[in-house]
Amino acid sequence: MVKEKPEIADESGDKYKYGFVTDIAADTAPKGLNEDIIRLISHKKGEPEWLLEWRLKAFAFWQTMTEPSWAKLSYEKIDYQDLYYYSAPKQKAAPKSLDEVDAELLKTYEKLGIPLKEQEALAGVVAVDAVFDSVSVATTYRAKLAEMGIIFCSISEAVKEHPDLVRKYLGSVVPYTDNFFACLNSAVFTDGSFVYIPKGVRCPMELSTYFRINARNTGQFERTLIVAEDDSYVSYLEGCTAPQRDENQLHAAIVEIVVLKNAEVKYSTVQNWYPGDKDGKGGVYNFVTKRAACRGENSKISWTQVETGSAVTWKYPSCVLQGDNSVGEFYSVAITNNRQQADTGTKMIHIGKNTTSKIISKGISAGFSNQTYRGLVRVAPNARGARNYSQCDSLLIGENCGSHTVPYIENRNKTAVIEHEATTSKISDEQMFYCLQRGIGEEEAVSLIVNGFCKEVMQHLPMEFAIEAAKLINVSLEGSVG
Amino acid sequence: MTKTPLLEIEDLCARVGEKEIIKNFNLTVNEGEVHAIMGPNGAGKSTLSYVLTGKPGYEVTSGKIRFKGKDLLAMAPEERAREGIFLCMQYPVEIPGVPTTTFLKHAVNAVRKHRGEPELDTLNFVKMVREDGKALGIDNEMIKRPVNVGFSGGEKKRLETLQMSILKPDFSILDEADSGLDIDALKVVADGVNALRDGHRSMLVITHYQRLLNYIVPDFVHVFADGHIVRSGDKNLALELEEKGYAEFVKEK
Amino acid sequence: MAGLIQDIKLFGEDIPWFQGLREKGMEAFRRQGVPTAKTEAWKYTKPRDLNADDFVMNDSAFLAEFEGAHEEEHSGCCHHHGENCHCHEEGCRCGEEIDVRVDLPFDGYQLHFLNGRFVPVYPVLPRGVEIMTLMEAVVTQEAKPYLGHLVDLEHYPFAALNTAYMEEGVYIRIDRNVKLDKPVILVNHTEADAENLFYNLRNLIVVESGAKAELIEWYNYTGAEKSRYFANVVNEIFVERGAELRHYKMQDEAFKANHVALNMARVRSDGFYDAFCLQRGANIGRNETKVLLKEEQAVAEVNAAYIMHGWATLDTTTDIEHLAPETFSHQLVRGVVGGDAKGVFQGKIHIAKHAVKTEGTQLHKALLLTDTAEIDVKPELEIFADDVKCSHGAASGELDEEILFYMQSRGIGREEAKQILIDAYLDDVINKVADVSVRAWLKDRAGA
Repeated sequence: MVKEKPEIADESGDKYKYGFVTDIAADTAPKGLNEDIIRLISHKKGEPEWLLEWRLKAFAFWQTMTEPSWAKLSYEKIDYQDLYYYSAPKQKAAPKSLDEVDAELLKTYEKLGIPLKEQEALAGVVAVDAVFDSVSVATTYRAKLAEMGIIFCSISEAVKEHPDLVRKYLGSVVPYTDNFFACLNSAVFTDGSFVYIPKGVRCPMELSTYFRINARNTGQFERTLIVAEDDSYVSYLEGCTAPQRDENQLHAAIVEIVVLKNAEVKYSTVQNWYPGDKDGKGGVYNFVTKRAACRGENSKISWTQVETGSAVTWKYPSCVLQGDNSVGEFYSVAITNNRQQADTGTKMIHIGKNTTSKIISKGISAGFSNQTYRGLVRVAPNARGARNYSQCDSLLIGENCGSHTVPYIENRNKTAVIEHEATTSKISDEQMFYCLQRGIGEEEAVSLIVNGFCKEVMQHLPMEFAIEAAKLINVSLEGSVG
Repeated sequence: MTKTPLLEIEDLCARVGEKEIIKNFNLTVNEGEVHAIMGPNGAGKSTLSYVLTGKPGYEVTSGKIRFKGKDLLAMAPEERAREGIFLCMQYPVEIPGVPTTTFLKHAVNAVRKHRGEPELDTLNFVKMVREDGKALGIDNEMIKRPVNVGFSGGEKKRLETLQMSILKPDFSILDEADSGLDIDALKVVADGVNALRDGHRSMLVITHYQRLLNYIVPDFVHVFADGHIVRSGDKNLALELEEKGYAEFVKEK
Repeated sequence: MAGLIQDIKLFGEDIPWFQGLREKGMEAFRRQGVPTAKTEAWKYTKPRDLNADDFVMNDSAFLAEFEGAHEEEHSGCCHHHGENCHCHEEGCRCGEEIDVRVDLPFDGYQLHFLNGRFVPVYPVLPRGVEIMTLMEAVVTQEAKPYLGHLVDLEHYPFAALNTAYMEEGVYIRIDRNVKLDKPVILVNHTEADAENLFYNLRNLIVVESGAKAELIEWYNYTGAEKSRYFANVVNEIFVERGAELRHYKMQDEAFKANHVALNMARVRSDGFYDAFCLQRGANIGRNETKVLLKEEQAVAEVNAAYIMHGWATLDTTTDIEHLAPETFSHQLVRGVVGGDAKGVFQGKIHIAKHAVKTEGTQLHKALLLTDTAEIDVKPELEIFADDVKCSHGAASGELDEEILFYMQSRGIGREEAKQILIDAYLDDVINKVADVSVRAWLKDRAGA
């Protein structure tokens, strides 16, 4: 049956998933990381020699690096030799029915209004394709996109079918030497998406990594590469509003985006990995490197993120504004509750002339969580006329959480105008009473006020995503008042 | 005709922090009645409105309040609101980012749900807001803006009145409803308020000046000083008060 | 590191508690060393130049006096013990009334240091004010309840180094409820013969409950243009309940000089610490202020201005710790950066858990005048309490061409117009200095 379905290959790389199941069920690689494991990954994926070489170089370099410790995060030391870097999709751990699934998780699905069948899939009870006719959806989309010359496939597939493109751009924005986690990813990345928008093409639909749920087993080391040629446009959605059952503790993904002359890329993320329980047990460690290079004149990149999940988040989607008049934007909502920790923000590197950037960051901390906005705005000596505006607002809910703002501003050009503002506040007693007096209950009032607080960011999300994200915010804040 | 009591306040004492502000206050408001409470600044008029609506920090030390026969003091602020108590605030608070329509819809549906009425769909909700808003000179543009943010004093008061008109409370408290209003704006607000007077709904009009009572004519007037009512009468009392000033009455006790 | 750690004999090695502090300081400095590019607190100010091995430290002036050593080594000596000298040799200034007084447009109690050494000429002080050298305060135990109590040796390598070599400096105490009528003025003269000098200065300022005082520090260089030296200053400041200290500093160092200062202030309930620093000159100049708002209603104002040309790095670093509920802090910093210079501002507001109803604000603005000027800013909020009001802002840009043109069109020369705008830009923060005559003097120094 598996063999009959190679064309499934939707954007999350299902083709290989099925391949793996048959191939390696018997020879799952042992724990630990060494050259042999990397050779095995590369071999299983049928990669060309140059890619293997590149992975090995990355691995050699990684061994000389130390894990960064500058972020305001504390977590148990990760033993990199105690992880599986190559394993078949997990089947043994799957629950047999929804009765076996964590009640809290089910409650959340209910609140998000996720249909029962989908809930089962999310929880791993049934296979994804039992829920969605993803085959037909995927093929319909792909046919339509292919007509326009748009490539949208898994990166593994792209390595085979578009090797020149991949070779040209892979690692060109985030070199493997960039940082500890990016280097690790370069050595062992399993899969991810590849998007190529040819010159002059406006992608007619939002590209999405996952239809709601088929993200399972994409792996811990995801790698995405997006290339927008001159005068092109694409809006890309990553993630999923439903928390996923996930056994992977460590995630270290990379997203690289290349934006050429007059092109525009919008990248929206909703991240809701498992945040751990109320006492901070379990939960995903999410160390992500996301960067876009605006290489051409008048190019534009816009990052929008809603971060509510993960026990530990380390993430700074960045914009390297090389082309003259290029534009970088970063809109972020981050919510931490219970024992979550997030150290997140952005980097705006102004290199070209008249480049502009805008940062709107809204952080909400509740429970015992700690959250840090960390951002860099750098204006290079030749970036005449560069402009930056940053606004970082934090909202604290309850007296046991922490909220921190650490912007770095480095200006080497006198014509640059840089403005940074940050505020910290709580929901005022007056606002709360006003809502209560009009009959609105406490939790509803908090969610109203928080959604108002985040509005500037939410309005940059595509419509259907925004509605789900608003619901998600409410769910994430549950139990934070009263 | 026997009157049904709506609000009954008995020997109420309340404080803010260490300070005793309401002292042995007694008042009964029957269905359909409009009572005015007048008093000098600092007499505790606003405190009374916050005690009735359950604002945190306003502590009742003794006494009873019954609303529709139920123990009001046992209810949370939002329950009181849903039961039909509405406070038209002197200084309405700003809520950044929350569109006024969104806020109104949440409030209306919370109250309707409590009354066992079906929630309003967007179409009917918008229709209602538009109709009621029109009379108050509130246009679409205004209710798209975040709640009270950047509103002028007059706009804030009109929005309060709009909320009162769509939530249809049984008992409204108007706290210095005329402050910051010019005469035209005052008429608009008063018309909105008077439109709600149907013989069943009751009101408590708290004011420092008699002016407002020309437009919202009360059935009873009470002089409030030193934490309780020192004298009661009909609307003519307000005129007398205006003429003689508060000093006269405060001495009387 | 040879240049900064030198084997010199210091006074007071036989006083165990004091010597113990010095040893701790030395250990802490040896552990940390001179900060490198990887030291977060020194991310933008590279103290490379401070890590030179040709710095020369003064011998202990106090030991010389007590051991009679100065009779053999009197040349260029002993400004601190005038009347005890009997050498009568040519060039010896001992025994003379050394006139170090400077003319300032405001009256005050002047105290002087010359090349890092205290000049023992005391002003006539009113009752209720005690001023003595640090070593006197150590010997009499006066300093014991205060000295070293505020400095975290593990995070301030230069303060640790300062602690290791503590000797020079003054102890100032304003007694309970005394309202000082005139400012205490510390003038630090550095002259041309200070070439390659490395000196440590440690002052202790105690403003007792209900007392009120104003302190002015002036680092005044009067030697040859190119003199290079390194001044390492630590002030420990205690503002007790209901007390008030206004602390104004003018840093006028030689343009190759290095000046690193740490002001550590602790403010108790209802106390008020008002600081202003104007930085000018120096190759590396860092003025770091840490305030502990220890009890309710403690208030701090920490303002600063810097103006620079050449290739200087001037650094204003602040760290305001709100440790109790209802504490307030406000910071305003403005800088003008020209030449190849680099301006650095690192400002932190920390709000401890339960320090509710607290307010902390911070605003930094900088003007860049040239294509090679640089500004690095890191305003930081660290908040662990929910019911607080905190904000920071930072902006940088250049002079507005439209305004310059407008002024030129009214007949004002371009350079003059620029100067007018720069003065106005800095006035905004200098106006925060409450003492009007000091304010006028600072404006004058800023424009000089």
